[in-house]
Amino acid sequence: MIFDKLKDEVNELLSRYPVKRSALLPLLYIAQREEGYVSEPAMKEIAKLLSLTPSQVYETVTFYSMYNLKPIGKFHVQVCRSLMCALVGSDNIVEWIQKNLNISSGQTTADRTFTLSVVECLGSCGTGPMMQVNDDYYERLTEEKVGQIFDDLKQKGSSSLKSGPFMFPQPTKS
Amino acid sequence: MSEHTTTGMVTVTIDDVTASVPKGTLVIEAARQLGVMIPHFCYHPKLAPDANCRMCLVEIEKMPRLQTSCSTQVTEGMVVRSSVPTVKQARKSVLDFILANHPLDCPVCDQGGRCDLQDFSHEYTASGTKFVELKRVFQKEYFSPVIETQMNRCVQCLRCVRYCDEVMDVRALAPAGRGTLTKIKSFGVHELDCEFCGGCVQICPVGAITSRLSMYEFRPWMLKRTESTCGYCGDGCQMTFQAKDNDLIEVNSTLGVGRNNGDLCSRGYFGYHANVHEDRLQSPMIRCDGELVEVPWEEALAVVAEKLTAIKSANGADAIGGLIASRCTNEDLYLFQKFMRVVIGTNQLDSSARYGHMNGIHALQRVQGTHRWSMSFDDLLSANAILTVGTNLTETNPITALKVKEAVKRRGAELITVEALEPAIGTISNIALLSTHHLPLAPDQFASGTIGLLKAVIQENLVDAELVAHAKDYIDAIKKQVDAISWTDIEARTGLTAEIFQDSAKVFTRAERAVILVGQGVLRSQGGYGMTLNLMDLLVLTGKLNRIGCGLAPLAEENNDQGSVEMGAVSELLPGGKDCRSREAQQSLEAAWGCSLPSGEEGTLMDMLGKAKRGILKAMIIVGENPIGSLPPDSGIEDAIGKLEFLVCQELFLTDTAKRADVIFPACSYAEKDGTFTSTEGHTQAVRKAIEPLGESRPDWEILSALSVMMDHPLEYESVKAIGKEMRDLMPGTRTLGPSPLPPRPCLDTLTQYLQEGYQDTLATRYCLPGMKATHTFVLNVGQSIFHSGKFSTRAKGLIQIQSQGVLSMHPEDAERLGLACGDGVCLENQLGQVKTTVKLSDRIPCGVLFFPEHFDQDIQRLFAVSVDNDTHVPYFKCAHVEVSKAS
Amino acid sequence: MAKYEKILLKNMEQPGYTGSLKEYEQTGGYQAFRKVCEGMAPSDIIETVKLSGLRGRGGAGFPTGVKWSFIPKDHPGPKYLCCNADESEPGTFKDRQLMERDPHQVLEGMAITCYTIGAETAYIYIRGEFWLGAKVLDQAIAEAKKAGYLGSNVLGTGKTINIFVHRGAGAYICGEETALLESLEGKRGKPRFKPPFPATHGLYQKPTVVNNVETLANIPHILNKGAAWFAAIGAPPKGTGTRIFCLSGHIKRPGNYEVPMGVTFREMIYEIGGGMRSDKPLKAFIPGGASAPFLTPEHLDVKMDFESLAMAGSMLGSGGITVMEEGTSMVWAALRLMEFFYHESCGKCTPCREGSSWLVQTLQRISRREGRMSDLDLLLDLCKSIEGRTVCAFGEAEVSPIVSTMRHWRSEYEELIREAEAAHPVKQEIPVLSQI
Ligand SMILES: Cc1cc2nc3c(=O)[nH]c(=O)nc-3n(C[C@H](O)[C@H](O)[C@H](O)COP(=O)(O)O)c2cc1C
Ligand code: SF4
Ligand code: FES
Repeated sequence: MIFDKLKDEVNELLSRYPVKRSALLPLLYIAQREEGYVSEPAMKEIAKLLSLTPSQVYETVTFYSMYNLKPIGKFHVQVCRSLMCALVGSDNIVEWIQKNLNISSGQTTADRTFTLSVVECLGSCGTGPMMQVNDDYYERLTEEKVGQIFDDLKQKGSSSLKSGPFMFPQPTKS
Repeated sequence: MSEHTTTGMVTVTIDDVTASVPKGTLVIEAARQLGVMIPHFCYHPKLAPDANCRMCLVEIEKMPRLQTSCSTQVTEGMVVRSSVPTVKQARKSVLDFILANHPLDCPVCDQGGRCDLQDFSHEYTASGTKFVELKRVFQKEYFSPVIETQMNRCVQCLRCVRYCDEVMDVRALAPAGRGTLTKIKSFGVHELDCEFCGGCVQICPVGAITSRLSMYEFRPWMLKRTESTCGYCGDGCQMTFQAKDNDLIEVNSTLGVGRNNGDLCSRGYFGYHANVHEDRLQSPMIRCDGELVEVPWEEALAVVAEKLTAIKSANGADAIGGLIASRCTNEDLYLFQKFMRVVIGTNQLDSSARYGHMNGIHALQRVQGTHRWSMSFDDLLSANAILTVGTNLTETNPITALKVKEAVKRRGAELITVEALEPAIGTISNIALLSTHHLPLAPDQFASGTIGLLKAVIQENLVDAELVAHAKDYIDAIKKQVDAISWTDIEARTGLTAEIFQDSAKVFTRAERAVILVGQGVLRSQGGYGMTLNLMDLLVLTGKLNRIGCGLAPLAEENNDQGSVEMGAVSELLPGGKDCRSREAQQSLEAAWGCSLPSGEEGTLMDMLGKAKRGILKAMIIVGENPIGSLPPDSGIEDAIGKLEFLVCQELFLTDTAKRADVIFPACSYAEKDGTFTSTEGHTQAVRKAIEPLGESRPDWEILSALSVMMDHPLEYESVKAIGKEMRDLMPGTRTLGPSPLPPRPCLDTLTQYLQEGYQDTLATRYCLPGMKATHTFVLNVGQSIFHSGKFSTRAKGLIQIQSQGVLSMHPEDAERLGLACGDGVCLENQLGQVKTTVKLSDRIPCGVLFFPEHFDQDIQRLFAVSVDNDTHVPYFKCAHVEVSKAS
Repeated sequence: MAKYEKILLKNMEQPGYTGSLKEYEQTGGYQAFRKVCEGMAPSDIIETVKLSGLRGRGGAGFPTGVKWSFIPKDHPGPKYLCCNADESEPGTFKDRQLMERDPHQVLEGMAITCYTIGAETAYIYIRGEFWLGAKVLDQAIAEAKKAGYLGSNVLGTGKTINIFVHRGAGAYICGEETALLESLEGKRGKPRFKPPFPATHGLYQKPTVVNNVETLANIPHILNKGAAWFAAIGAPPKGTGTRIFCLSGHIKRPGNYEVPMGVTFREMIYEIGGGMRSDKPLKAFIPGGASAPFLTPEHLDVKMDFESLAMAGSMLGSGGITVMEEGTSMVWAALRLMEFFYHESCGKCTPCREGSSWLVQTLQRISRREGRMSDLDLLLDLCKSIEGRTVCAFGEAEVSPIVSTMRHWRSEYEELIREAEAAHPVKQEIPVLSQI
């Protein structure tokens, strides 16, 4: 049971909404955080917590693209392919990643380190090409930069190249 | 305009026709009323509009762009056009869009010939599609044993999903995925597990959800339709048998027809195969040298006539008894009791209404002098408060449950549930989840719960002012009783504090219209009659007994329990529910029948069995009833039947009882004969022959009629209609096929009599709390499952696919305490014996309670002791106390 | 172009500004909320916002004050404010910056709105991917709560205002206000049909205002400096105030730029954006996010306000400007956007669901050089059958790239099809029966 040990967190979430079902998306995030994906037992547990049927949880989960219904790699690399990023070269980045990780979109590397997803617009169109790895954004990508990020992730589990609070263009002293 | 607004009507013009319709009517409905059919997929009168298919677009003056008529309400002066070119073009384009991904596999689609998509395409798309891309193709997935999905055909109207949620309150179906790749699934990769009401199959406008029971077996135009009444429960659903080559292919229900108004339950929808089961008896049999051998009808009839005549002349008419199943038609029941009373000449007769329904009837007769509800099914919908006691409503009376759901979900009725149910969400709907006040009780404590409510009424001064003025003694007597019972005692038994009783009592009293539904948990349990009387007291005390829209409704388990009573197929009642001891009633019946009625004492089921055991009753005619299967061994049923000199059975199957018969007549199922059933509400509805009788089987009335001729007391009728006519003449008000009769008003004289003294004799026994169970034991309850009804349904292959055997349900906490897991063997034990079975975990069952479905031939019956109600002679055997251990 | 003062980005563009409560307060933050709490009548606030001419920055450009005034005044029971921070329109990335860099500006706007419409609870529905934004907002809410701007008895008024961050989970459609409400209720994010509108039947069927992040961020400034001040900025009377435009694509200096409404695209692209990245000529631009019809260099002098763009056959939308240089295939560009829309169609209504799949497949086929001339009419036919027939405005959005690129660059489609026809000639058309 995932949520047994998270009672406080769950209760705080539930207290935010007058109707329990509203806590569904947040609870699914917790389930995904704890297990790496949204498992069936987790959906059933959430259904119980929110007085829903498992089918109701399931229909909601499958509507949204951010929940994984299967285990994925340690780092979920999501590269934007939409027009704005494509104009500035996202296709090349995707190709480079596919070649270097030797996987195509939707696949996970054999060592289960990386899962690649080619996705639609992630809302940083001015700083493309860009990708999201787990929670973090990496923007204005070049092939070298992606290589560096992947090395960092593999070695340190994180990379300093990730975007901080977003500001673009950066203000210049006038 | 102002005139209309005050009357709540508005004027609307649709395709140049102007008419007045009620305010708030949807354009699509208004159009239908004006004779304009607007094509639609997602709209359904039972469902809240979703406006997703866009098929119903119309032009409305003064509105930009086309509007969906299914979600737009008419307003005063609205002008709607549904056949202008833009609208037609819009329809065509929606169809083009749908057809783009539709597989067009009409040749192998069961919906072919009755498919909305086919019909609309035929009407609106003149040419073929311009779609040349690849069609979306879903992998075929297994869905469930009886329901099949073919998602390539789905038009994503979500009617199925919405029905499952809004009407059924089950929410088993999930639209999974997004966009055009959305498909209807259950949870994840699991097969569907739900109430299997078949609603999704029926409501799907295309062939995306179909029944596996009739897959690929027919084209709709090959089917012969017969409108009939369901033979499973007292709800009396109207349905259509679809037959081909004298075989039943499927069952449907029609929107707007009957109380069920297009809804059915799993038994109605998937249970029809029981009628045509291969084990059906097809020719008469007599016992020769201990073996049953097939003989011609004449021979079998002759044997019976001769033997019964002999026994009658040797031992008197009262040596012969009769028992009939309430599953028979009114005509069968009527002729049966007439046969017993006139041809045999005895009052030793009973029907399966004795198993519980008689408790409700006697209570109604005692207090309000009627043998029918004083409210109607529709009053459930307009009730402000509904109290259900011991009903397990969804499982016993699924359509009544739908009314309650609608009353609560759509009309805001308050619901008080006194049930052995925990409000847990499961695969079938749970009425406790909808309740505003839920009193979860063990099944042997409904009496305590009822007394709790009464105590609260008295204590909180909720007694009707007018009653206080008129019936002081009555109130004082009850007050004295409930004062003697402390809240502590009630709490000890129910686990509930005074507040919930007080709150519930207030809600009930406050309601303008309040209805009490009484179920098997009360009617078939120890003290059932007393409990029902107590619930009537609740109505009386709160001043609701004689108020329109209020009343107490005993829910019949068998489809024609109510008919048995009204036809006089119980010992103490003559046709029309008249007291058989009333000289007046006897005289009028004697005049009508042209003969005298028997004078011997009445003999109900348990009386007859007792007499059989003592060798006084020598012979029995048992029509469609299987007492050996129904009654636990503790009743001595085997002994009683074994001692009979002569046993005749009219049966569909070789039941445990029929196996002991000396002569068996093969009877027709209700799909093979005409007649009527009376629903639990007292509405008589037609049963129509859908297929020819199987083999040599004959309707029960025909068999009895033939016997009567051979016994020189001919009860001859040309057809079943002639019996109907006799019934109608005798009992005006029965057999009013068509709209249901107005419910009878309570008889004020009876009520007055009850308030003066009628209440007294039973007061002390019914106003006392049942004992408590020992802490280490469990209350074992047998009862009905939603997928079955009696044992007849266990011959329906669809229902057997859904539920094939009985397992013991137990609360997970109890199981954990006992170290039991789902599927483990358990041993149940009490002073009557020891039984092994398998356990299943269910959080709907309260802790300390066990539930076992009564439909399967399990020796669990051995654990139940039988006791008989002093007043109503109802045998009680549904509850036992047992110890549970893990089977080694 | 003329000098102007930034409103929304002013603070954050100060070097070293982190957006903490302290810094925000130092620059005059929460003064407007204090002023309001000192007893401004909600009706006066609505009036001020109406007079300011502020129109929604989320896409539809509905006058904000008017929207607020639709909330039933004496409605018993709860009312809600939802801040639309779903920012999923391709080409748009301004709300992210507003939230990550100056969260209190948004929160103050929300607090004032709650006060005005009588909502005790507000939710910020932020797109799931903006994990950092959600974190920043959560921290800011905690700060504001501690300082008494949020929580119970805000600034001693006895009123309760709670703001919660609610993360979406990857669905563009949840930016549509009713889909947002459904999603916030824990359901599939499918738009509801309207009427009823959220103002009366919104979140949990209660009166609800849904406003975009940028819209709300403007509120404190309007109350501080007055309606007249705001109404004088930009292109009055119908396009008042500034807007943050997001520049992307083949532009030299992409990014977020706040300018008064009414500057021209030429100024925007060439002066502010520094012109084309590769110094190739401009071929096309999208003026207001992926849903806005494409424009051509001929439209460079169109002013960036609601009316001017509508006249040019496009829309101001979400303020995302995407620039494309000569050499970009317009069929490819339309296809990329169409693929986005196909992926994001919620599937609720037939024309959008089936239409998007049909359109995308047809475009893909044309791109693969397997098209036919008749496909062009088919595409336009399909677009016509989608527009105006869907539950929400997604239908209009998804057809705009195709319709507008076919309007301006039909020859590019024809070129691809001619190549296809040359490679796979059709032998003979099948005659239509009625024409023989
Ligand atoms: C398909 C679709 C997507 C939308 N996405 C967004 C969005 O991401 N963010 C946003 O603020 N508004 C979005 N909108 C507009 C909202 O429906 C709504 O108009 C807006 O939130 C109202 O806020 P405003 O009045 O402050 O602009 C979208 C509309 C549609 C039809
Ligand atoms: S399966 Fe049938 S009822 Fe359900 S959404 Fe599809 S077409 Fe509609
Ligand atoms: S019937 Fe109206 S939109 Fe489907």
